[in-house]
Amino acid sequence: MRDIWTSIRRTPYQSFSAFLILFFTLFLTLILFVSLTFLYGTLNYLETKPQVTVYFQNKTPENQIFKVRDELMSSGKVLGIKYISKNDAFNIYKQLNKDNPLLLEMVSADILPPSLEIYAKKPIYLPEIAEYLKKQGDIDEVQYEKDIIDKLLVLTNTIRMSALIFFSYLILMSIVVLTTMILFKIALKESEITLLRLIGATNFYIRKPYIMESLFLGFTASLLSFGIFSSIVLYFNPFLQSYFKGITALSVDIFNYQLTIWPLNYIFFVIVFVSISLFGAVIASVASYIATNKYLRV
Amino acid sequence: MITFDKVTKKFPLGNTALSDISFEIDDNQFVFLVGQSGAGKTSILKMITQEIKPTSGSIIVDDFDVTDSNFSQKIELRRKIGIIFQDFKVLSDKNVFENIAVSLKVIGTDQSEIKTEVKRALELVGLSKKEFVFPVQLSAGELQRVAIARAIVGNRDIIIADEPTGNLDPKTAWDIMKIFKKLEGKRTVIIATHNTDIVNSFQKRVLVLKEGKIIKDQRKGGYEL
Repeated sequence: MRDIWTSIRRTPYQSFSAFLILFFTLFLTLILFVSLTFLYGTLNYLETKPQVTVYFQNKTPENQIFKVRDELMSSGKVLGIKYISKNDAFNIYKQLNKDNPLLLEMVSADILPPSLEIYAKKPIYLPEIAEYLKKQGDIDEVQYEKDIIDKLLVLTNTIRMSALIFFSYLILMSIVVLTTMILFKIALKESEITLLRLIGATNFYIRKPYIMESLFLGFTASLLSFGIFSSIVLYFNPFLQSYFKGITALSVDIFNYQLTIWPLNYIFFVIVFVSISLFGAVIASVASYIATNKYLRV
Repeated sequence: MITFDKVTKKFPLGNTALSDISFEIDDNQFVFLVGQSGAGKTSILKMITQEIKPTSGSIIVDDFDVTDSNFSQKIELRRKIGIIFQDFKVLSDKNVFENIAVSLKVIGTDQSEIKTEVKRALELVGLSKKEFVFPVQLSAGELQRVAIARAIVGNRDIIIADEPTGNLDPKTAWDIMKIFKKLEGKRTVIIATHNTDIVNSFQKRVLVLKEGKIIKDQRKGGYEL
């Protein structure tokens, strides 16, 4: 630790520049990472809502409805199907209009159509399922949130692609700039490296101080990025609460582990911090490895 | 033992640094390499430390064929060699103790042993009281003493010195040579120098080089320019 601090003190401008670049990269990465996580969480949440609702004609016998249901289930594209009978529909209607006796008097179970609420395995199956249903007889109406899902899918894909390009550029930029900074530092110590090589130092021994310093800068930059990011998120928490009002939980699947991202919780913050620290460490290590490589030909 | 067998070194631009030279240096022998600038003294030293490779011929150092050594063998061999340069190459951001300790740290010596060995080396070179002094506060002679101490710690069997007194006044040069004298019979010492007075007074083996060839090999020799 003392060696790292001494090295930073002796080349403050190079160290500060390296730190700023790392901080910039990690902070933007953090924003991208969390935004994408929330987008995926929202998409996952929407996928848990009935995605296609098909209303049958009043006269449609139940066995006809069950036949459609079974065929859909066997297609392999459907996660689940909920049957809403005429009586179920009337009960829902009554519940929704319990404060309006006039509306309750006007409607009976006979005029409400039976329906199926269908949950697709993937949003891309929705148009196919809707088309299949429209071709069946006894169908009154097929409703599905095509526009919302489509927009969300397009948005997620666009953001993912843009993030990937931006992210690659960020990584490349930070590695190039960091490598240059470390090369400046090494140039100042070239005679020391030559001497170390001549007295039998291994490559790792020569690299170690530069890698350790880069790791220190990477960790400090990720700590600061995380600190600022967390403060911003916590500051805007009331706004987020109202924005996500009605959504009880958002989660994403990470290697078969359901990570809850909303409501905000400490596990999510820990995972974000660990990820960003690891990312900072990897960038810093790669840059110092490349920079020192030039001087390590024995 | 160091063996040069028909070694030739030609540089890419065509100049020949060494031409078909052969010699042997026994363990713990004290040898001067003498000759005018460009005679090939430094090339011989750089081949022993594997900074350059010969164009032809073979060089054996402590049973290692340095012309055919791999990466880890190079490191292993370099750990047996202590090097002293004309310009000292003392690290300016480290104090005397740290400069000497570097030589032990690279070979993985533990901290308590480093302390003991560095103190012993400081005593040998007469810098016991300047352990924590930084190079900027030292004279040229003291800097060379630090370099010698750095070269001798860590059981380095071969000590190579390239013009170790080249930047020193005659009095200091003699003081430095007295330190080398203390190593006589304990390590293999190879000193490249121009200093005729020193070579003549030591009466040790002298390899005289001229235009890349050994023109004289005297067991207890002197030297004339």
